[in-house]
Amino acid sequence: MNMDNPKKFSAVILGGGIAGISAALELARLGQEVALVEKTPFFGGRAANFCCKATDACQKCGACLVDDRLKALFQESRITLLSHAELTGCSRENGLFHLVVKQQPEVINPEGCVDCGLCYEECPAADKGAILTTAVTQNHPRYAVNPGACLYFLDGSCQVCQQICPPTARAIDLARPAKTLELTAKALVVATGYRPSDPACRPHYGYGRLPHVVAGYELEEMLRNGTGPGGPGAEVPRRIGFIQCVGSRDQEHPYCSQVCCAYTLRLARLLKHRWPEAEVTSFYMDLQETGRQSPQFQAEARREVKMVRALPGDLHATPDGRVKIRFMEEDSGQPAAADFDLLVLSVGIGPGDDNPALAALLQASLTPDGFFQAADPDHRTQTSQPGLFLAGTAEGPRDIAGCISQATAAARQVSQYVKES
Amino acid sequence: MTIARQLDIILAHGPELSAGGLDYYKLGLWAAGQPNSRILSLNPALPPEELERRLRAFLHGDQPHTVLVAALDPHHRARHILRLLTEVMQVNPELISVVDLQEALGSPDPQACSITAHHLIGVNASMITRAQPITTQELPVTSRVLVWGDSFAALKAAVDLADLGYPVIQAYPGPALSPLLPGAAPAQPFGAELQDLIARVQSHSAIQLLPQTHMAEALESAGNFRVRLQTPEGVREEKVGAMILAPELSLEPREAAAGAASHPRILTQSQLEDLLAAPEEAALLIPEADSRLRVAFLGGDSHPLALARTLSSARPLLARDNVQVMLFIRDAKVGAPGMEAALGQAQSSGLIVFKLPQLPTLTLADDRPRLAFFDPVMHEAESLACDLVVRDEVYRPAADNAALAEVLHLFPGPGGFLQGDNVRFLPVITNRRGVYVVGAGRGLMDLDQARAETDAAVNEVQQLLGRGTTIAPKGRSVVDRGRCVLCLTCHRVCPHGAVTWDNRAIINELACQGCGVCASQCPNDAIQIRNFTDDQVVAALETLDPRLTPRIIAFMCKNSAWEAYHAAIKLAPVNLPLGFTPLKMPCAGKIDIDYILKAFTYGADGVLVLACHQDNCKSQEGNLHAQWRVERAREMLADAGVDPRRLVFKTLAANTPQDFLAAVASLAEVLGGLKAA
Repeated sequence: MNMDNPKKFSAVILGGGIAGISAALELARLGQEVALVEKTPFFGGRAANFCCKATDACQKCGACLVDDRLKALFQESRITLLSHAELTGCSRENGLFHLVVKQQPEVINPEGCVDCGLCYEECPAADKGAILTTAVTQNHPRYAVNPGACLYFLDGSCQVCQQICPPTARAIDLARPAKTLELTAKALVVATGYRPSDPACRPHYGYGRLPHVVAGYELEEMLRNGTGPGGPGAEVPRRIGFIQCVGSRDQEHPYCSQVCCAYTLRLARLLKHRWPEAEVTSFYMDLQETGRQSPQFQAEARREVKMVRALPGDLHATPDGRVKIRFMEEDSGQPAAADFDLLVLSVGIGPGDDNPALAALLQASLTPDGFFQAADPDHRTQTSQPGLFLAGTAEGPRDIAGCISQATAAARQVSQYVKES
Repeated sequence: MTIARQLDIILAHGPELSAGGLDYYKLGLWAAGQPNSRILSLNPALPPEELERRLRAFLHGDQPHTVLVAALDPHHRARHILRLLTEVMQVNPELISVVDLQEALGSPDPQACSITAHHLIGVNASMITRAQPITTQELPVTSRVLVWGDSFAALKAAVDLADLGYPVIQAYPGPALSPLLPGAAPAQPFGAELQDLIARVQSHSAIQLLPQTHMAEALESAGNFRVRLQTPEGVREEKVGAMILAPELSLEPREAAAGAASHPRILTQSQLEDLLAAPEEAALLIPEADSRLRVAFLGGDSHPLALARTLSSARPLLARDNVQVMLFIRDAKVGAPGMEAALGQAQSSGLIVFKLPQLPTLTLADDRPRLAFFDPVMHEAESLACDLVVRDEVYRPAADNAALAEVLHLFPGPGGFLQGDNVRFLPVITNRRGVYVVGAGRGLMDLDQARAETDAAVNEVQQLLGRGTTIAPKGRSVVDRGRCVLCLTCHRVCPHGAVTWDNRAIINELACQGCGVCASQCPNDAIQIRNFTDDQVVAALETLDPRLTPRIIAFMCKNSAWEAYHAAIKLAPVNLPLGFTPLKMPCAGKIDIDYILKAFTYGADGVLVLACHQDNCKSQEGNLHAQWRVERAREMLADAGVDPRRLVFKTLAANTPQDFLAAVASLAEVLGGLKAA
């Protein structure tokens, strides 16, 4: 219970997304003491910002499971949570991992903070990311000072948040130091997740340049927070397009991201359900399996969503502020064009930015695509290094369900390993 | 409010509560002034030893305490206090009510703030002071496990469990163990790992093999199932604590036109694989020294594993100079590790891929197979004579899955598999405790995934069966044997197969998941879910303050709506109607028609019934029961002259706080309209 001496653990898990959380919870259930190290100030990872895609019925995306497991995570006493913390050192002695974790200063005291958000509203460098926030309400506080962008940490010139924090709360103390923690662990689980491919990697789609062109993960967040198209003050889009395989199956990413077909169809059906008048089109190369969906799912999706097998050419803005797409029509073999009010790029799963540095630190290897290298294709939770395990998208693309089952399996293998070592 | 017995209220806060606009001195004074209650104001930021000292001083005496902890975001902020209460002070968790005061901060008006706080504490106080402690009990369980099937996952589960000391019965339909490796030729010599696995299953002293076996009946529930197995030697009854289901897939060739199926130049994928394994026979059909030959693969696009199989048999053909290999597919199923690269490699060694909206039609002309199709690239009709056409095969779930699901009372899964189509069951559980579905029982997957699921299921079995005893709550659901008339409604509606009977209904405490569907359906009110009893709900409804309007009672499933409500009040200050009363339910299936009608009798202006989305209910059908009851209640309200628009049913998810707010706002608007009219 003493949070200041998180010293010896059966396992340390790197990454507080759905895979890391699932692994930690399962290990705790198996009776192991674990630490969960998360780079950002908040737990939940990328999937925590995905939206519920239920129409009248659940579409089985699994996004709600993240909320479910987060709640359990914060109530589990066998898990030591280290947020806003990064691994900076790793060595092994007799199989035991000796880890150095640097934790950013806990400027906002969770006992005092009431999540009023004044600090964020008044921060002069908020637009530069000096105060990080989350919409994932299982986290508390939902605000954190980012020393990398905070003016106080850069040159000491600002203490606005500390002054503005209500005197009854007095939650902010900029002078709190960063901590360097030394941990030991018998096993280590890499569950550091992925980075969405850059939506601008196909420049002719005009991401960042054309209006109404958004990435899939942005649409998810907008829908989750109710700020998206059709939200308060926004017009309901009449024609919506999805373009598949952005940052997948190309020279730079010579693999299929496995999740985009499923999330596109789910999002498309959700939008169609919300706005039955809207016309939704999806441009695709090859339709992939969509998880464990019933065979009816794709048939129903095809009824509701116009599927066009074509990857569009250049996109450009029309005079009335929409986006024009030109493509080759499969049936007629003729070039065709269509206008859209909203265009969603179905962005794929890319390797995490930190993978090369982390792999060097752990003496692990990466695949040519940049993901962590598993022992072999049939043992994707294990690595060639005994005691070092993988879970979730750090190893390669997989959906939420896949992350959960792999993380659960990793937990079993970790606990076996810990018992034997 | 009506506090039924002494209540120890802990206001877990520092002065920061005032930062949100709630005067905590006044709140403390108000709470202290309630009959039957004592109050401790405790700053959760104090060091743990100090927290413990103060809690000990407050909760002295040996009598069991009933405690209400009120705070902002108590599960974070009062985490240490809650842990001390249960772990050190030994307060029964069922006698602790946790109240999040956050909703009170949504109001801009300080008076409304404190009224809401009083209301929240009042509702919870009246319920918790009628709660009963729930203790746990150690129940004996059978440690034998039934593993169903002979797929890779089934074999691995049997060996893993047997190694852990659990005796295993492994039952399978065929005469011999014949696992199929998805993505590989079924008849290939098994790899070293699979051979080793089969040998271990066959030689392990703790594994009993039952070939040619079908399940005739499954009685009782988790920990002590009684299964009747139909074997060639007759029916045998076995007692097992848990079951892991992984019946092997079957292969089904693509349909071919009459006559085509038996033509020597039209093969199924399996026949081609056999042929490639026998070089002499292959030489007859695909001679090495012949002129140019054309081999066409038809399909292979049902799944990445089907494509993997197609590509691995295309490879030796592509290595030959005199063979032209074509692949006709609708979609290139490359959504699996390494498949994009594998297809690319095949293409660079000469594979010609036609992606068509419709697969070609296969006919025979001059005793040769011929493929006719429309080429979307050249935009013209094509007809190709081939020397060999290979029909792909589709992986199908085991044929008797539907029968097995019925015997075991499982909600059947998508596409004929065994795990219900509900993300709450991920990764491997089912609606029945003690029944797990992995690998080929859950879907078509590669070895890594099958292995992962087996690991997950073995974890579950260990948790459930331990070393022959298991811990279960005692008295979670209670049957009043005096009232039970053995109508067996409970047995029929229980989604978890937890109800059996002798001369009265019996609820198995290990299988019961506390959803309360049975209690709400029981026509004689003979079942109560402890701490979600009718008395407690009525007591909560009695606390409604008639001065607060509009009075909206929200009955919310704890798995979805309750979380969405909390997310909504935390995300931004929300000004919910002053009379809004949140009531947590173990499942929407526990919301009785009686509760709804009583809510109106006690003065509600409107009632919200908020459940999980269809197919997202942990008890699978609790939300449907709630919906049916709401429909019935609306008719009853209309008969009684109450506008049925006052009663709203809505489904939502834990991560859709906007939907929760929209539901409240839309009901409030309806009520406003009705009031004005």
